[in-house]
Amino acid sequence: MRPILLNSCAEATTAAETRFRIDVPITDGRAARIVALDEGAAVVVRRVAEQHWSGARFFTGVDRTPQLNDNRESTDVVLRATDGSQSRLDEQLAGADLMVMIATADDGAKAASAIGDACTLRGIMTAGLILGERREVGGAVSALRPHARVLMVTKDEQDVSEVLTALRA
Amino acid sequence: MLKQEINELLTQTGPATPMGELFRQYWIPALLAEELPENDCPQVRVKILSERCIAFRDSDGRYGLIDEFCAHRGVSLWFGRNEQSGLRCAYHGWKYDVTGQCIEVPSEPENSNFCAKVRLTSYPLVKVGAILWTYMGDPEKRPALPEFEFVHVPPEQTYTSKRWQESNWLQAFEGGIDSSHVSFLHSGGLRNDPLFKGAKGNEYNLADLKPFFEVAEADGGLFVAARRDAEDGSYYWRITPWVMPSFTLVPPRGDHPIHGHFWVPIDDHNCWVYTFDYHPVRALTAEEVQAMKDGHGVHSRNIPGTYRPQENKDNDYLMDREAQKRDEAFSGVRGIAMQDGSLQESMGPIVDRTRERLVSADVGIIKARHKLRKAAIALRDEGMTPPGVDPAHHRVRSAAIVLPKDDSFIELSREAVAASPGVRQTSV
Repeated sequence: MRPILLNSCAEATTAAETRFRIDVPITDGRAARIVALDEGAAVVVRRVAEQHWSGARFFTGVDRTPQLNDNRESTDVVLRATDGSQSRLDEQLAGADLMVMIATADDGAKAASAIGDACTLRGIMTAGLILGERREVGGAVSALRPHARVLMVTKDEQDVSEVLTALRA
Repeated sequence: MLKQEINELLTQTGPATPMGELFRQYWIPALLAEELPENDCPQVRVKILSERCIAFRDSDGRYGLIDEFCAHRGVSLWFGRNEQSGLRCAYHGWKYDVTGQCIEVPSEPENSNFCAKVRLTSYPLVKVGAILWTYMGDPEKRPALPEFEFVHVPPEQTYTSKRWQESNWLQAFEGGIDSSHVSFLHSGGLRNDPLFKGAKGNEYNLADLKPFFEVAEADGGLFVAARRDAEDGSYYWRITPWVMPSFTLVPPRGDHPIHGHFWVPIDDHNCWVYTFDYHPVRALTAEEVQAMKDGHGVHSRNIPGTYRPQENKDNDYLMDREAQKRDEAFSGVRGIAMQDGSLQESMGPIVDRTRERLVSADVGIIKARHKLRKAAIALRDEGMTPPGVDPAHHRVRSAAIVLPKDDSFIELSREAVAASPGVRQTSV
């Protein structure tokens, strides 16, 4: 069957035809969790958290419950929010669909591992942003690589906001 | 997702726009050298960055790119005569040289100096490799000529084509740094295309449809790397360099030539896709060149005598549902070039990025947009020269490499992603 109307063929890509695209909102913003893996990253996360976000939750540190220090279960990982309050990782991951880990050094390797494993288990997309000169953050890159589906190494702190905005966090 | 004003900033490249000024800092392809094959050959209309120009090659072999319209009555010089070291308007015989300088106004007295006061806007047009490059910015800031490897290898080692794409440059370019579509849209090509098939790397590509990505800054732009599982204890990395504003290389496969693209805005709704293949150390075989001319690899098969692909929006891209069912063409469109072009044109002339839903695998695109915007604003507000202008930034290569899992792709592939004359590409 040969197409006879403009909208039934590939020529329907004009600016005029664009007006007929359905304009109903498709999804809400992502349920993003942003976690700083070290002190340097926490400074950045505090700054970024002050901007307007649709549903993102920001955490400036990762702790483990003292009695289970070497246990890698996500139930034992505690996240520190920007206001100082604490909550368990598994609670924060309920309903989340994006985990962004921020690092400036390799201090957070264990935390990245625990968070990455928990996200893999729950099918949550992971991304890692490493701030600094590449030759100075090689340890952080190696630590995060197994646990983040996407890694970006950047000198530009503004990339954190750019990525979160682009992903509708 | 982008705000509307940022989408407009990135997609508008006419004069006096921030992104237009950014493009005007670089040497960019204006046309193929084959379009002006000999002295005094017919002139060619060239629209570039929303400016209408005419390109010609005079009796002495000099190239010129000047305003398309005669200063006298606004007639197109395409109707003119390219003769005796100048382009003569067909209406009243005004004549211009390759710098746009009017050198003859026949109606004026013999000893009149009127024509010395008439000069059309002109841009330099220089042949480097198989391409005629132009620079449309401030003459005082004109950079050194391009040093991309594909235009500096011997002619028998390289082949360049071009095709018209009916969409804004940005959505076309973004496909060049989006590795994750390859395993789907081009899966047929990985198995069948003569310029792709047979490489060990293809097996990794097809076996792992969920690659991990790493994005790293480069002096001239970015490296976007996709990693997939290889044998135990190792990853298969495909590293795509982007040099600002719109030059990308496709990671190689086996001993096949390296492919790449340069996207050049015609206006805000159209762009040229310059497509090339080159091999750093050997001549392309006759079979390879024929395959490129036939529209295999990343080239298109064009309507004879034009640079419009045979698969275009007027014929629904010759959609072949049977080939789609047989898995020969994932989208039903033939050829890798127009598999990309058809989908990118289907987005509309300028895709509405306020409505898109990006995922983290798109982080290379996110970073590239940010770099472009930042560079355009830094140029506008502070006059800062953007990355990619320095010819040293052009000396990059794509690479495909298997590395131990614990190793950093950028550290271990530093030599692989540097263009080194006479050195074979790093490929799997």
